[in-house]
Amino acid sequence: MKRAAQITVFIPGPLRECCAGAGELSLSATDLRAVLVELERTRPALHRSICDETGAVRRHINLFINHQHMRDCNGLDTSLVTGDTVVILPAVSGG
Amino acid sequence: MAKRIVLCIGTKKGLFVAESSSSRERFKLHGPFGSGVSVYSALVDPRGTPRIYASSCNAFFGMKVLCSTDLGKTFKETKSAPAFPKDDGRALANIWSLAAGDDKKELWCGVEPAALFHSSDGGDSWEMVSGISNHDHARKWHPGNGGLCMHTIVRDGNRMHLGISTGGHYLSEDGGQTFAASNKGVGAGFSPDPYPEFGQCVHKIARHKDAPGRLYMQNHGGWSEWSGPGGPRPGIGVLRSDDHGKSWRSIAAGLPSDFGFPIVVHPHNPDVVYVAPLEPMTRTCPGGAPAIWRSENGGNSWRKLTKGLPKKKSYFTILRDGMDVDELKSPSLYFGTTTGQLWIGRDGGEQWDCLFDSLPPIHCVKVAVV
Repeated sequence: MKRAAQITVFIPGPLRECCAGAGELSLSATDLRAVLVELERTRPALHRSICDETGAVRRHINLFINHQHMRDCNGLDTSLVTGDTVVILPAVSGG
Repeated sequence: MAKRIVLCIGTKKGLFVAESSSSRERFKLHGPFGSGVSVYSALVDPRGTPRIYASSCNAFFGMKVLCSTDLGKTFKETKSAPAFPKDDGRALANIWSLAAGDDKKELWCGVEPAALFHSSDGGDSWEMVSGISNHDHARKWHPGNGGLCMHTIVRDGNRMHLGISTGGHYLSEDGGQTFAASNKGVGAGFSPDPYPEFGQCVHKIARHKDAPGRLYMQNHGGWSEWSGPGGPRPGIGVLRSDDHGKSWRSIAAGLPSDFGFPIVVHPHNPDVVYVAPLEPMTRTCPGGAPAIWRSENGGNSWRKLTKGLPKKKSYFTILRDGMDVDELKSPSLYFGTTTGQLWIGRDGGEQWDCLFDSLPPIHCVKVAVV
């Protein structure tokens, strides 16, 4: 069984009100999917803003592990190691 | 306490709330609330302590419902927004309609993809209404350009009328437990069958609260010159029912176009109805000259109302929820445009003035007297 890593999640400005104003969260998780599960459990409003009700990451949300987009890693199954950062960023789009 | 007019203006960049005395001479504008985020539906519930609800449809972070208990000076998110059950497979894409229920905190909500939700606690929790959301037809409906949206909820005791684009008109007679497609006489221009059982692109349905058997529908018109299978379908865009929506007939004769989005009924006379005809191909004002058209005899004849409106070079669209009427003795109409103008039509639309000229593109306009 994989050991959970201590990682930091960076929260973009528009979503900080879902976390009592926090810009970053520290949590333990083995992979990116486990990060989302933990956020759903502890920060449901934040989770709803990142994922839709099917559990899919919203179309205009990008998740980065350190500097790499999740799609260039192993998606939600990307493993995490202690010290990793998970960055939540809204996509560049709109008008 | 003197009556106030509260005007909610849902735009591409948030909700604005304008307030006036009953003279309607000057409106003070508050907002935007939910700044930068599209608002497709609003509801002013004047019962008891008035509440304003609005959908905040964030393409990035999902859907929210906003609520104000101080007439639009401040808004808070409700504790949750409608959401499909996890195993349903559908995900909420937009909130298109909010309607008050019988109880003070009871709400109904129509969403995209087309489904209905119910709340008993002022929007803090929601339950999907299975009778329509899981209807046998639901997986056969298909989206139009605006998405597959449930945009109209009209209630009359145990009767509930729903307007779905593109799904048609559905009627419940048991308080929303079960629904049946009720589209006899409602045409569709985009299918070989001119009068299918369901699948019409209904744009809006309206009625007078004291004449619930009489309904008016703005349907997707503009098919008079179609020469393909099924033949031309003139006049299918503006319709009337006199049997609680069981059957419909055209009342489009006399209008410059049967295409449009909103339809509004006078608050004191069920025979008076307003539409905003648009050119069907461009969805803009015919000839660049905007006009609201009024019938005073249930759609048998129509008169153009243009005093104060631009005479030329105006090519905006009025969207399906972009027009409303207040309930004062001499009611005023209000419409918002995709070019961000908010117009008031005083004395039932006889005289038009532009209240706000440079708002973001307007999706919905809802007015109430509180």
